[in-house]
Amino acid sequence: MSTTNLRASRADKDGLARRPWRGTVREYDLFKELTVALVVMGIITLGLSAVFGSPDEPSVTLKSWAIAAPADFVATATAELGGTSETAGYGPPYNKTADATQTLGPLDLQSFSGVQLPIDTANDLVIDPLTTLNSPPPELADWVTASDAQRTTWTTAYSDALTKATDNDPANVAAGDYGPVPVLTDSLLTTAKQGALDGVLTAKDKFYNFDYTRGTLFLGDGAYFGDLATAQHLTGDQWGMMNETGNTPGQSWLWLFSFWYQVEPFASAPNADLLVVLMMLVLSVLLTLVPFIPGLRDIPRWIPVHRLIWRDYYRRR
Amino acid sequence: MHDFVSILASLDSPGIYLGWGAFQIQLGNLIVILVMILLFVLALFLPFPSGRKRK
Repeated sequence: MSTTNLRASRADKDGLARRPWRGTVREYDLFKELTVALVVMGIITLGLSAVFGSPDEPSVTLKSWAIAAPADFVATATAELGGTSETAGYGPPYNKTADATQTLGPLDLQSFSGVQLPIDTANDLVIDPLTTLNSPPPELADWVTASDAQRTTWTTAYSDALTKATDNDPANVAAGDYGPVPVLTDSLLTTAKQGALDGVLTAKDKFYNFDYTRGTLFLGDGAYFGDLATAQHLTGDQWGMMNETGNTPGQSWLWLFSFWYQVEPFASAPNADLLVVLMMLVLSVLLTLVPFIPGLRDIPRWIPVHRLIWRDYYRRR
Repeated sequence: MHDFVSILASLDSPGIYLGWGAFQIQLGNLIVILVMILLFVLALFLPFPSGRKRK
């Protein structure tokens, strides 16, 4: 006799399981219940997700940026060429810019990873995409053969001229020696407006590629993307970590993480991210060690919520 | 019914934000938090469903 049967025979010493059922019976259609439950729950799920689901904001692409804010696009492309964009000066994991990382004394977490995603903003975001064109602008050769000092002179002059131009419009830039920079940035703008730049930056070196790092960094270096985020209350100093777009509820459980960014000394600290992460780490450790910390572990005695929940038990005791 | 539909349509409109100094919260988040607190208080005070006692 198998172990299972032995157990069954022990549990059924009085033969209860073998006796015929003498209580009431009724028909039960398992298939019908399954079908009804599936259909009803499906309708409720689809209905609620259609009404309350996450908002379907249209994607912001390099194409939509180039069409909506061409002046900002050209200014950003110039900054990428000149190595003065935020990405160019970010430090690890993109480059080795000196003094770019957030530190606290000797602690430099940002540098721990090293340069894992090396990005040369001029080549990766501007020059390389232009070389993939069917007919690259001939001015590319001028850029490639120029010295670093010459490139910096051109991009600085063009960047300044864009700032002074009416509406920052490249068409209104005063005449000057900007080298190939205006042609290169204008070619990139045209490429972006046609939607080709999104594909080129995403599919770099690979046929199938879902790595949006380069395109997103380029987008983030401009003012357009940040302005959109600010308008939707999504930036760090607007409790943006907690927010969804529109009135849809967001990640309210991130309230404490978000809170620190709103108050001093974190709000204005240059190493705010590092400070907030460390603060949350300390608080998480304290929460984990509550049972061992005198005072903290006594809170349930001072505020006996558990006595309210288990009031029947405590009343009988 | 019309009001309900207009509320749902407003989910995609620019959000409503309430603020007091450095504190700022989106209306949707505030509603979710208040509902969570309400459910917690109800769970504290509502009696456990007794159900049928086992024989």
